[in-house]
Amino acid sequence: MKTPAISIKNLTKEFSIPFRTERLRAVRSLSLEVPAGEVYGLLGPNGSGKSTTMKILLGLVTPTAGSTEIFGISSRQVESREQVGFLPENPYFYKYLTGLETLLFFGKLCGQRGSELADRAAELLKVVGLESASDRRLSGYSKGMLQRIGLAQALIGNPKLLVLDEPTAGVDPAGSHQIRDLIVQFKEKGITVLLCSHLLSQVQEICDRIGILNEGALLLEGRVNDLVSAHNQTELLLENATPDFLNEIERRAAECGVRVLDRRMPQRDLERFFLEVTRNKS
Amino acid sequence: MALAHNTFLELVRQKVFYFLLLFALLIIGSSLFTVEFSFQSPLQVLKDVGLGAMSIFSWLLGLLCTAMLLPKDIEDRTLYTILAKPVPRFEYITGKLLGVFMMIGLSILLMSVLFAAVLGIREQQELAEIARITPVEELEAALAAVRASAFQWNLLAGVALIFLKAALCSTLTLLLSTFATSSVFTVLISVVVYLIGHVQGIAREYWLRPGEVSLLVKGGIAVMALLFPDLQLFNVVDEIAIGTKIPLDLFLQVTGFGLLYTVVYFMVAQVVFATKEL
Repeated sequence: MKTPAISIKNLTKEFSIPFRTERLRAVRSLSLEVPAGEVYGLLGPNGSGKSTTMKILLGLVTPTAGSTEIFGISSRQVESREQVGFLPENPYFYKYLTGLETLLFFGKLCGQRGSELADRAAELLKVVGLESASDRRLSGYSKGMLQRIGLAQALIGNPKLLVLDEPTAGVDPAGSHQIRDLIVQFKEKGITVLLCSHLLSQVQEICDRIGILNEGALLLEGRVNDLVSAHNQTELLLENATPDFLNEIERRAAECGVRVLDRRMPQRDLERFFLEVTRNKS
Repeated sequence: MALAHNTFLELVRQKVFYFLLLFALLIIGSSLFTVEFSFQSPLQVLKDVGLGAMSIFSWLLGLLCTAMLLPKDIEDRTLYTILAKPVPRFEYITGKLLGVFMMIGLSILLMSVLFAAVLGIREQQELAEIARITPVEELEAALAAVRASAFQWNLLAGVALIFLKAALCSTLTLLLSTFATSSVFTVLISVVVYLIGHVQGIAREYWLRPGEVSLLVKGGIAVMALLFPDLQLFNVVDEIAIGTKIPLDLFLQVTGFGLLYTVVYFMVAQVVFATKEL
């Protein structure tokens, strides 16, 4: 059996509360696996334990009980992070560095040097569309640009697993769309992605499977299509159908005991509409 | 080394070296005005002021820079991004500290160059003045006296000890910042420890007079003496400033003491940071 990209077993994390005897249980007996190559969405309301789970996975926090592994290596070992790229929520990098210097710095932390690193940094700046801003200091970057340089630094070590915490938080629709497209590209390249996001429409669009956390426990897990599809309903999208033709369909459906629940013109996605309008304007 | 270089770059780009302009003003100012207001030799006053200012400036620079490094990385979450790479925590702490040491080292180098230049200029002025007003038969002795009170190579030993003291205090500040919740707290405690370090020798002598204090107090003093470095030992720099030749074994003793405390504080900082929940 192939080693999963992420393996979390009976994970529990409790935090002590200053001046109080009881402890805050942030994660409760959480178990889940993410196979290599999958895009997995970890969802849940604020305070549900998503960030704590991510931090434990990345070795930033020690679990109270249970274990986490990345490609079969315990998160407690530094080697487990050789295969990981991480983008934290609202990342603040060193503002005194330029975009290129940021990538060179993080590349060196991954053990890269010389022309190999320079080529990789240049390639990633192109991938995230920041070539023209590579010599600007990050203090002059917009929120969307910071998220994109964040993605680039996450990718600098050629990771097999990307952990993205709210990658589109606070980014405008165009920037958010670009980031979503990048995640789709990563998936096509076989990179496993663990994604935390409150943008559920985006999660639905790009994730293969999701897990929903609440109060530190896993409420539900499964393939996105299986979870959200209404299995006893069918959508039929027609073009140039006359009212008579539609009435005929409804009549035939009634004859066969099929109930037509709704009949309406399809609406365009507001995000796509916004992008079309702003692109035309520019 | 990437972390050390980056920390150094961070401090340079935050323009901390502008701080050294104050030092420049102080040194140049003291070289201009000491002639009129001092009973000591002007070169002697310049050396006192120069080494004293170098010691205070390097300590303050190390303290303020180190105190903000770790809390800032935690607050901005830059630390998460760094430690999510295959970077062991000890490497992170070591890099940060080395970056601060590089910055202190360069600051002291710049201050030393400026100090030596001003001292050299003042020496030439003094020599010219002495040559003008001193009778010929006393001239040689007078010129030798001026040269003796100017630059001497043992000043470099003083500069080395100033670096060591600043490095020790920066390491202590780093240790405090591994468990402190704010930079202000770290700075305050570090300043308090600095003050304790300068008075503990006197307190120790007073309280440990035979037969006058209880064992409990003696134990407390002993613990304090172990926890906090006796920074008065570095006052040997003042002796160097007045031209006293410092024996090698005393220099090595103070250096050994400084290195020991620096290493111990550094090791404790590593242990605290290794177990810290981020």
